[in-house]
Amino acid sequence: MKPAADPESFRLVIPSQTRYLNLVTAMAKRASLVAGMDDATAAKVSIAVDEAVTNVIIHAYKGESTHQVEIELRFSPDRLEIRIWNTGGGLHDEDVVLPDPREYVKHPRKGGLGLLLMSRFMDEIHFQDLGGRSECCMVKRVS
Amino acid sequence: MADLAIQVKDVGGVAVLRPEGFINAHTVRMFEDALEKLVASGRFTILLDCRSLNYISSAGLGAIMGLIETVRENGGDILLCNLAENVFAIFDTLGFTQLYRVFPTDVDALQALSGTPE
Repeated sequence: MKPAADPESFRLVIPSQTRYLNLVTAMAKRASLVAGMDDATAAKVSIAVDEAVTNVIIHAYKGESTHQVEIELRFSPDRLEIRIWNTGGGLHDEDVVLPDPREYVKHPRKGGLGLLLMSRFMDEIHFQDLGGRSECCMVKRVS
Repeated sequence: MADLAIQVKDVGGVAVLRPEGFINAHTVRMFEDALEKLVASGRFTILLDCRSLNYISSAGLGAIMGLIETVRENGGDILLCNLAENVFAIFDTLGFTQLYRVFPTDVDALQALSGTPE
Protein backbone atom coordinates (compact mmCIF):
# COMPACT_ATOMS: atom_id res chain seq x y z
CA MET A 1 0.00 0.00 0.00
CA LYS A 2 1.37 3.38 -0.89
CA PRO A 3 0.20 6.53 0.84
CA ALA A 4 -1.84 8.83 -1.38
CA ALA A 5 -1.44 12.59 -1.44
CA ASP A 6 -4.54 13.07 0.64
CA PRO A 7 -3.71 12.04 4.23
CA GLU A 8 -7.31 10.93 4.61
CA SER A 9 -7.07 8.36 1.87
CA PHE A 10 -4.92 5.52 0.62
CA ARG A 11 -4.65 3.35 -2.43
CA LEU A 12 -4.05 -0.26 -3.24
CA VAL A 13 -3.21 -1.58 -6.68
CA ILE A 14 -3.72 -5.29 -7.32
CA PRO A 15 -3.20 -7.53 -10.35
CA SER A 16 -6.48 -8.43 -12.04
CA GLN A 17 -6.65 -11.83 -10.36
CA THR A 18 -9.42 -13.20 -8.20
CA ARG A 19 -6.95 -14.65 -5.70
CA TYR A 20 -6.49 -11.12 -4.35
CA LEU A 21 -10.21 -10.62 -3.67
CA ASN A 22 -9.91 -11.82 -0.12
CA LEU A 23 -7.12 -9.36 0.57
CA VAL A 24 -9.14 -6.44 -0.81
CA THR A 25 -12.34 -7.35 1.03
CA ALA A 26 -10.46 -7.78 4.30
CA MET A 27 -8.99 -4.32 3.81
CA ALA A 28 -12.40 -2.84 2.98
CA LYS A 29 -13.87 -4.37 6.12
CA ARG A 30 -11.10 -3.04 8.32
CA ALA A 31 -11.36 0.39 6.70
CA SER A 32 -15.10 0.46 7.38
CA LEU A 33 -14.47 -0.29 11.03
CA VAL A 34 -11.84 2.46 11.17
CA ALA A 35 -14.40 4.81 9.60
CA GLY A 36 -16.72 4.09 12.51
CA MET A 37 -19.12 1.50 11.11
CA ASP A 38 -20.32 -1.50 13.07
CA ASP A 39 -19.38 -5.09 12.17
CA ALA A 40 -22.55 -5.82 10.19
CA THR A 41 -22.21 -2.68 8.09
CA ALA A 42 -18.50 -3.27 7.53
CA ALA A 43 -19.30 -6.78 6.27
CA LYS A 44 -21.75 -5.31 3.76
CA VAL A 45 -19.18 -2.83 2.49
CA SER A 46 -16.67 -5.64 2.02
CA ILE A 47 -19.16 -7.63 -0.06
CA ALA A 48 -19.89 -4.58 -2.23
CA VAL A 49 -16.16 -4.19 -2.83
CA ASP A 50 -15.83 -7.89 -3.67
CA GLU A 51 -18.59 -7.54 -6.25
CA ALA A 52 -17.14 -4.37 -7.76
CA VAL A 53 -13.60 -5.77 -8.08
CA THR A 54 -14.95 -9.08 -9.41
CA ASN A 55 -16.88 -7.17 -12.09
CA VAL A 56 -13.67 -5.47 -13.16
CA ILE A 57 -11.67 -8.71 -13.31
CA ILE A 58 -14.33 -10.85 -14.98
CA HIS A 59 -16.14 -8.36 -17.19
CA ALA A 60 -13.89 -5.36 -17.85
CA TYR A 61 -10.69 -7.40 -18.16
CA LYS A 62 -12.46 -10.58 -19.32
CA GLY A 63 -10.52 -12.68 -16.85
CA GLU A 64 -7.11 -11.58 -18.16
CA SER A 65 -4.69 -11.63 -15.25
CA THR A 66 -2.08 -9.14 -16.47
CA HIS A 67 -3.97 -5.90 -15.82
CA GLN A 68 -4.28 -3.75 -12.72
CA VAL A 69 -7.17 -2.80 -10.51
CA GLU A 70 -6.69 0.36 -8.48
CA ILE A 71 -8.69 0.89 -5.31
CA GLU A 72 -8.83 4.05 -3.23
CA LEU A 73 -10.38 4.41 0.20
CA ARG A 74 -11.22 7.99 1.14
CA PHE A 75 -12.20 8.78 4.71
CA SER A 76 -14.43 11.69 5.73
CA PRO A 77 -16.02 12.23 9.12
CA ASP A 78 -19.45 11.23 7.79
CA ARG A 79 -18.63 8.76 5.03
CA LEU A 80 -16.29 6.25 3.46
CA GLU A 81 -15.84 6.61 -0.27
CA ILE A 82 -14.39 3.74 -2.28
CA ARG A 83 -13.23 4.30 -5.84
CA ILE A 84 -12.22 1.45 -8.12
CA TRP A 85 -10.52 2.11 -11.45
CA ASN A 86 -9.72 -0.06 -14.43
CA THR A 87 -8.63 0.44 -18.02
CA GLY A 88 -10.65 -2.39 -19.52
CA GLY A 89 -13.86 -0.48 -20.00
CA GLY A 90 -16.79 -0.22 -17.71
CA LEU A 91 -20.32 0.72 -17.01
CA HIS A 92 -21.97 4.11 -17.05
CA ASP A 93 -24.73 5.07 -14.66
CA GLU A 94 -27.26 4.93 -17.50
CA ASP A 95 -26.24 1.34 -18.36
CA VAL A 96 -27.05 0.02 -14.91
CA VAL A 97 -30.34 -1.83 -14.75
CA LEU A 98 -30.90 -3.52 -11.45
CA PRO A 99 -32.99 -6.68 -11.35
CA ASP A 100 -36.19 -6.39 -9.34
CA PRO A 101 -35.78 -8.80 -6.41
CA ARG A 102 -39.52 -9.59 -6.47
CA GLU A 103 -39.32 -10.62 -10.12
CA TYR A 104 -36.10 -12.44 -9.41
CA VAL A 105 -37.79 -14.57 -6.80
CA LYS A 106 -40.59 -15.41 -9.23
CA HIS A 107 -38.22 -16.19 -12.10
CA PRO A 108 -34.87 -17.26 -10.61
CA ARG A 109 -31.88 -17.13 -12.89
CA LYS A 110 -28.13 -17.15 -12.61
CA GLY A 111 -26.31 -13.82 -12.79
CA GLY A 112 -27.14 -10.14 -12.34
CA LEU A 113 -26.94 -10.26 -8.58
CA GLY A 114 -23.66 -8.46 -7.94
CA LEU A 115 -24.87 -5.00 -8.88
CA LEU A 116 -27.99 -5.52 -6.82
CA LEU A 117 -25.91 -6.38 -3.76
CA MET A 118 -23.69 -3.36 -4.33
CA SER A 119 -26.68 -1.03 -4.61
CA ARG A 120 -28.40 -2.48 -1.56
CA PHE A 121 -25.34 -2.49 0.65
CA MET A 122 -23.97 0.95 -0.27
CA ASP A 123 -25.67 4.35 -0.06
CA GLU A 124 -24.47 5.57 -3.45
CA ILE A 125 -22.92 3.96 -6.51
CA HIS A 126 -21.73 5.82 -9.60
CA PHE A 127 -20.00 4.64 -12.74
CA GLN A 128 -18.18 6.90 -15.16
CA ASP A 129 -15.71 6.91 -18.00
CA LEU A 130 -12.71 9.13 -17.32
CA GLY A 131 -11.24 8.89 -20.80
CA GLY A 132 -9.43 5.58 -20.91
CA ARG A 133 -10.12 4.79 -17.28
CA SER A 134 -13.40 3.57 -15.90
CA GLU A 135 -14.40 4.44 -12.38
CA CYS A 136 -16.81 2.85 -9.97
CA CYS A 137 -17.43 5.07 -6.95
CA MET A 138 -19.26 3.70 -3.93
CA VAL A 139 -20.20 5.65 -0.84
CA LYS A 140 -21.22 4.43 2.59
CA ARG A 141 -22.30 7.03 5.09
CA VAL A 142 -21.26 6.70 8.72
CA SER A 143 -24.31 7.15 10.89
CA MET B 1 -5.22 -21.08 5.43
CA ALA B 2 -6.97 -21.87 2.17
CA ASP B 3 -9.72 -19.48 1.14
CA LEU B 4 -12.23 -22.31 1.08
CA ALA B 5 -12.49 -25.89 2.30
CA ILE B 6 -15.57 -28.04 1.89
CA GLN B 7 -16.72 -30.95 4.00
CA VAL B 8 -19.48 -33.27 2.84
CA LYS B 9 -21.15 -35.90 4.97
CA ASP B 10 -24.28 -37.99 4.88
CA VAL B 11 -26.79 -37.62 7.70
CA GLY B 12 -29.74 -39.95 7.33
CA GLY B 13 -29.79 -39.69 3.56
CA VAL B 14 -29.29 -35.92 3.52
CA ALA B 15 -26.08 -34.62 1.97
CA VAL B 16 -24.75 -32.04 4.41
CA LEU B 17 -22.26 -29.71 2.71
CA ARG B 18 -20.26 -27.45 4.99
CA PRO B 19 -18.18 -24.72 3.32
CA GLU B 20 -15.46 -23.24 5.49
CA GLY B 21 -14.06 -19.83 4.53
CA PHE B 22 -15.02 -17.56 1.66
CA ILE B 23 -17.08 -18.26 -1.44
CA ASN B 24 -16.27 -15.66 -4.05
CA ALA B 25 -15.25 -15.56 -7.71
CA HIS B 26 -11.93 -17.16 -6.79
CA THR B 27 -13.31 -20.14 -4.89
CA VAL B 28 -16.70 -20.61 -6.49
CA ARG B 29 -15.52 -23.34 -8.86
CA MET B 30 -14.68 -25.57 -5.89
CA PHE B 31 -18.10 -24.93 -4.36
CA GLU B 32 -19.85 -25.52 -7.68
CA ASP B 33 -17.90 -28.75 -8.23
CA ALA B 34 -18.93 -30.07 -4.80
CA LEU B 35 -22.60 -29.32 -5.49
CA GLU B 36 -22.47 -30.77 -9.00
CA LYS B 37 -20.78 -33.92 -7.74
CA LEU B 38 -23.62 -34.49 -5.28
CA VAL B 39 -26.27 -33.94 -7.93
CA ALA B 40 -24.46 -36.16 -10.44
CA SER B 41 -24.45 -38.98 -7.89
CA GLY B 42 -28.18 -38.63 -7.35
CA ARG B 43 -28.01 -36.71 -4.08
CA PHE B 44 -30.83 -34.24 -4.53
CA THR B 45 -31.49 -33.24 -0.92
CA ILE B 46 -28.67 -30.98 0.13
CA LEU B 47 -28.29 -29.07 3.38
CA LEU B 48 -25.84 -26.19 3.22
CA ASP B 49 -24.47 -25.82 6.73
CA CYS B 50 -23.07 -22.27 6.74
CA ARG B 51 -21.68 -22.21 10.29
CA SER B 52 -18.11 -21.77 9.04
CA LEU B 53 -18.91 -19.62 6.02
CA ASN B 54 -17.36 -16.17 6.39
CA TYR B 55 -19.08 -14.75 3.36
CA ILE B 56 -20.64 -15.65 0.05
CA SER B 57 -20.68 -13.32 -2.93
CA SER B 58 -23.07 -13.34 -5.87
CA ALA B 59 -20.80 -15.86 -7.61
CA GLY B 60 -21.67 -18.42 -4.92
CA LEU B 61 -25.34 -17.53 -4.98
CA GLY B 62 -25.29 -18.10 -8.73
CA ALA B 63 -23.86 -21.58 -8.18
CA ILE B 64 -26.77 -22.47 -5.89
CA MET B 65 -29.26 -20.90 -8.26
CA GLY B 66 -27.82 -22.87 -11.16
CA LEU B 67 -28.75 -26.20 -9.55
CA ILE B 68 -31.97 -25.49 -7.73
CA GLU B 69 -34.23 -26.41 -10.63
CA THR B 70 -32.47 -29.72 -11.17
CA VAL B 71 -32.68 -30.80 -7.53
CA ARG B 72 -36.33 -29.78 -7.22
CA GLU B 73 -37.27 -31.50 -10.47
CA ASN B 74 -35.82 -34.65 -8.93
CA GLY B 75 -37.83 -34.35 -5.73
CA GLY B 76 -35.05 -32.82 -3.66
CA ASP B 77 -34.18 -29.39 -2.38
CA ILE B 78 -31.32 -27.18 -1.19
CA LEU B 79 -31.77 -25.99 2.38
CA LEU B 80 -29.72 -23.56 4.43
CA CYS B 81 -28.83 -23.49 8.11
CA ASN B 82 -26.52 -21.85 10.64
CA LEU B 83 -26.25 -18.58 8.74
CA ALA B 84 -24.16 -15.86 10.37
CA GLU B 85 -25.72 -12.39 10.40
CA ASN B 86 -23.72 -11.12 7.44
CA VAL B 87 -24.37 -14.24 5.37
CA PHE B 88 -28.10 -14.09 6.17
CA ALA B 89 -28.11 -10.42 5.08
CA ILE B 90 -26.77 -11.41 1.66
CA PHE B 91 -29.34 -14.17 1.15
CA ASP B 92 -32.16 -12.01 2.49
CA THR B 93 -31.27 -8.92 0.47
CA LEU B 94 -31.55 -10.89 -2.75
CA GLY B 95 -34.79 -12.61 -1.79
CA PHE B 96 -33.16 -16.01 -1.36
CA THR B 97 -34.83 -16.48 2.00
CA GLN B 98 -38.10 -16.70 0.04
CA LEU B 99 -36.67 -19.17 -2.43
CA TYR B 100 -34.95 -21.47 0.04
CA ARG B 101 -35.90 -22.92 3.38
CA VAL B 102 -33.64 -21.44 6.06
CA PHE B 103 -33.23 -23.04 9.50
CA PRO B 104 -31.51 -21.73 12.60
CA THR B 105 -29.51 -24.95 13.07
CA ASP B 106 -28.68 -28.19 11.26
CA VAL B 107 -30.73 -30.10 13.84
CA ASP B 108 -33.82 -28.04 12.96
CA ALA B 109 -33.25 -28.61 9.25
CA LEU B 110 -32.71 -32.36 9.60
CA GLN B 111 -35.77 -32.71 11.81
CA ALA B 112 -37.88 -30.86 9.26
CA LEU B 113 -36.59 -33.14 6.50
CA SER B 114 -37.34 -36.26 8.51
CA GLY B 115 -40.87 -35.06 9.14
CA THR B 116 -40.53 -34.72 12.89
CA PRO B 117 -41.52 -31.47 14.62
CA GLU B 118 -38.84 -28.80 14.64
